[in-house]
Amino acid sequence: MRKTLALTLLFLFVTAQILVSIDKVHLWHTMEPNKRPLLKDVVDEFMRDNPDIEVILLSKNVEELRTGYQAAAAFTGGGPELVYGPMDQIGPFEVMKLKNSDRSIIMPLEEVFPEEFFKKFTANGLIHYKGHLYQIADRIGNHLALPYNKRLFDEAGLPGPPETIEQLIEYGQKLTKDVDGDGVIDQWGLVWNYTEPFWYVPFFGGYGGRVFDENNKPQLDSPAAAKAFKLIKDMRDVYKIMPPECDYDIADNMFNQGNAGMIINGDWSWQKYMGSPEVDFGLAKIPYVEESGLWCSPMVSATGYSINSNTKPEVMEATKKVLTWLTSETVQKRFATEFKSIPSIKTLYNDPEFANDPTVKTSAAQIEAGQLMPIIPEMRAAWDAMRPALQSVVGGNMTPEEGATYQQKLCIEKINDMYEVAGAGSSQHITKYIIYIIGIALGLYLTYLLIFKFVLALLRNPYTMEARNARFAILISIPAAIVMFGVVIYPFFYNIVLSFSNMNMTNVNSWEVIGVEQYGKVLWDFDMSFADYRNSIGSEGGFVTWDYLKYFITHHKFVAVFIKTLIWTIVNVFFHVTLGVMLALLMNRKLPGKPIFRVLLILPWAVPQYIVALTWRGMFISDTGAINLMLNHLGIAGVNWLSEPTMAFIAAIITNIWLGFSFMMVIALGGLQSIPKELYEAAKIDGASSWKQFWNVTVPLLKPVMVPAITLGTVWTFNNLNVLWLVTNGGQPADHSHILVTYVYRAAFNLYRYGYAAAFSVLIFLFLAFFGLTFMNRSQVAEKA
Amino acid sequence: MNKFKKITTTTIIYAIVLLFVAISVYPVLRIFTISLRPGDNLLNRSLAIVPADATFDNYVRLFTEKPFLLWIRNSLMVSITVTIVGVAFASLAGYAFSRYRFPGRKAGLLSLLITQMFPATMLLLPLFIMLSKLGLINSFLGLIIMYSATALPFCIWLMKGYYDTIPFSLEESAMVDGAGRFYTFWKIILPLAAPALVITALFSFMAAWNEYIVAAQVLWYEEMFTIPLGLKSLQGNMTTEWGMYAAGSLLISVPVVALFLFLSRWLVSGLTLGSVKG
Repeated sequence: MRKTLALTLLFLFVTAQILVSIDKVHLWHTMEPNKRPLLKDVVDEFMRDNPDIEVILLSKNVEELRTGYQAAAAFTGGGPELVYGPMDQIGPFEVMKLKNSDRSIIMPLEEVFPEEFFKKFTANGLIHYKGHLYQIADRIGNHLALPYNKRLFDEAGLPGPPETIEQLIEYGQKLTKDVDGDGVIDQWGLVWNYTEPFWYVPFFGGYGGRVFDENNKPQLDSPAAAKAFKLIKDMRDVYKIMPPECDYDIADNMFNQGNAGMIINGDWSWQKYMGSPEVDFGLAKIPYVEESGLWCSPMVSATGYSINSNTKPEVMEATKKVLTWLTSETVQKRFATEFKSIPSIKTLYNDPEFANDPTVKTSAAQIEAGQLMPIIPEMRAAWDAMRPALQSVVGGNMTPEEGATYQQKLCIEKINDMYEVAGAGSSQHITKYIIYIIGIALGLYLTYLLIFKFVLALLRNPYTMEARNARFAILISIPAAIVMFGVVIYPFFYNIVLSFSNMNMTNVNSWEVIGVEQYGKVLWDFDMSFADYRNSIGSEGGFVTWDYLKYFITHHKFVAVFIKTLIWTIVNVFFHVTLGVMLALLMNRKLPGKPIFRVLLILPWAVPQYIVALTWRGMFISDTGAINLMLNHLGIAGVNWLSEPTMAFIAAIITNIWLGFSFMMVIALGGLQSIPKELYEAAKIDGASSWKQFWNVTVPLLKPVMVPAITLGTVWTFNNLNVLWLVTNGGQPADHSHILVTYVYRAAFNLYRYGYAAAFSVLIFLFLAFFGLTFMNRSQVAEKA
Repeated sequence: MNKFKKITTTTIIYAIVLLFVAISVYPVLRIFTISLRPGDNLLNRSLAIVPADATFDNYVRLFTEKPFLLWIRNSLMVSITVTIVGVAFASLAGYAFSRYRFPGRKAGLLSLLITQMFPATMLLLPLFIMLSKLGLINSFLGLIIMYSATALPFCIWLMKGYYDTIPFSLEESAMVDGAGRFYTFWKIILPLAAPALVITALFSFMAAWNEYIVAAQVLWYEEMFTIPLGLKSLQGNMTTEWGMYAAGSLLISVPVVALFLFLSRWLVSGLTLGSVKG
């Protein structure tokens, strides 16, 4: 009886579960860590009221969300139902189409919601693009303004925040001082991330410049560009109101710790400053430019929700409900009160509790003076063009005027690269068929090898000892072979095919094989013409060949970066191996305290690379970093590690050497165990010196273990994206600190040049394969058995 | 005189070792400093290791506000499986490559190397497409397969290299005594290869333990996050909870160091070949 009852209950429970099916709505968002708890709160509240809907949150940063969402939605027909992010992601999303369709990967929202629904939002909260509504914002902003520290202003006897550029400079100079009197300036007037174009745009706008004209053509060489460049450089070098090296984290930490009077930073950061014990927070607009009669004008963008075009009809209602809730007045008000953000609901603007807040008022005024962030994908090219120009000007390698011309030229080039669909001409068809034929021939050859050299060879004389051994060997390597083959084969051939294709962001689901054009673009790409080069070095006539060679090495983009990559790889691997082997030899001796040393020496391998790379970056900062402080103690003048191209590259190499020597030490330590002690004794009896013992006993016997490690270490170093990227903050200064992988990442991935990137990586692969096989063959480790 | 020379040598060796220990430890101490600072400051002009306002708050918050134990559990599950797979598959395949001649041997060895030569960032998109076609998104299995494939080429080569240094005569005498192929491998050769097994285990573990990029593509649920993903979730576009980030980074190094300590007795084991070699 009881059993039946239990079964019935179980049955009821199960059916109930099936009947009340739960709709799962995934939301990927880019909210900053401080906003996430509130988002989680309001989502939990929603789920309490709607038990049949489950909202699954996933936070990502802007770049990762964009690429991750595109990969999921455009390439696999899946992805989260809702995406939340800044409005400029709409451009790259709109341009990507679904498989076998000309619909974008995000849905036009006017098809989903009734007209009534949109009435409560302000105009700038509804993001239209190419005639459709693609995003509903829950806040407007993401803009820079000028937070200042009232306490420091009072100390300096300043009445209030600066209103004009002249005041900014004057106040800045009064705030910049050496507080503890040790001869080093430890309080700065103004700190900000002045080598990033997002921070340059307000000043560009203040002199009347706009990134694009009405027809979306870039106009980065307008007179405003040079004026803004000059102002930024002068504020540092002439008026000396800001530190010689400053990036986001340096600026943020200085202001937050009360070591800077003013900072230019975005609305995402203000809450943190309000909470800092060192800061008496005040907010001002970025000043007025008297020369032009305009206020500086930061980029303003809305942040909001879009719906995935792959959303299944059965969860559509739930998805709409979630979106409706998250953009509702209740939720927006909570965000607005807690974070002083500017909402997109009209009625909230009249809410006294909110509208009279001084921070909100200033923020709203700053938005008024700002410019709307362009949604078009071309904006990505503009950022990538402004960054190196800005850094070159600030670094003193270009005049402001040269910088302006350069960024315009670069921007046009990058836009062309981005949109150009290669292989439009008919002549391409011949190479296309040749490639097909080569592909088929290669396939046939591989099949032939597999059948005749492998299967048939195994079946021949199956009962000999040799055949049995071979079968045993193959049997025990099969598990590894399956894993490797299964994982590697598809991506590998996918990339090879892609490298012969014209895939870019406009045709992710309709690309075609076009031939070797992408290879041509990689291999024949100069950053200036030969004629210009000859003019620039003032050479006329004379030895053309010699000039051409120099031109090729310095201005061929691939070759120039390739040479840097070789230096990077050789220096790194050399130190990894020599330091690793040396320490392993020491650790292999009798040495009191050895186990402790051994553990401490593997720390560089054990600690996650990401934080280590950033910590090293912190140690390299010129005026506060540990390394320069130590050099000063030793009586050596400090070095501008991060803002001089060669020094930045050396800094990255030092970091990478630190990260890699432990690994080689562990390998060598393992390898040393296989060397019989008798051999050393025998050598000693023969009177061999320690050096001879090392060279004649240790080295040859370490070889079988070390050669694979060195080969792979070389390959990994050659293709190491992270360390250089993190230490130089993405190739800074001015994209001078690149190796091939970071270069292709910057040049191709940012601009969605899939075909080009694939061709680039196939070339990297071919070079490494050639190097690797030669090295292995020469060292004979593959033969020996 | 000889004694004097010995003392000098020892001093020099100590000086070198201590210098490198200091170089290894110093940046880690900086991270420790960040983890003790309140208020998410990555940088500071002070060189003091323990800041004046030091607090363990970040460590406490990691366990109370974040599902840090859950992340550790997920990471341990994935990493330990990868370690087992890596050690098992690599010790077998490496042995085959070292001791036997068979069709496809050289091709296999070289193609293992070749798999490492394609820039990994380029492979992400096709890998993601493949995993999602196979339904391996949001599954640890997908991750385990990926990480094993990352670890295996190096591990196989390392095992092969190490086996190569073990004399053939050992197996020959065992075979003469009538032992089978697998028995010889298992009982005689494998124990001698202990140092290489240790490295293989460490390397496989690390391949899984600190990996972030593939995991970020594959895992969509926060309750499935591995530690690197969890730490990464402390970061936004502009702002990062540096204190907790640093604390977490140090905590996740602890298992690696512990594993190394545990394994190091076999890494520098007394089982040297000299004693067995006749």
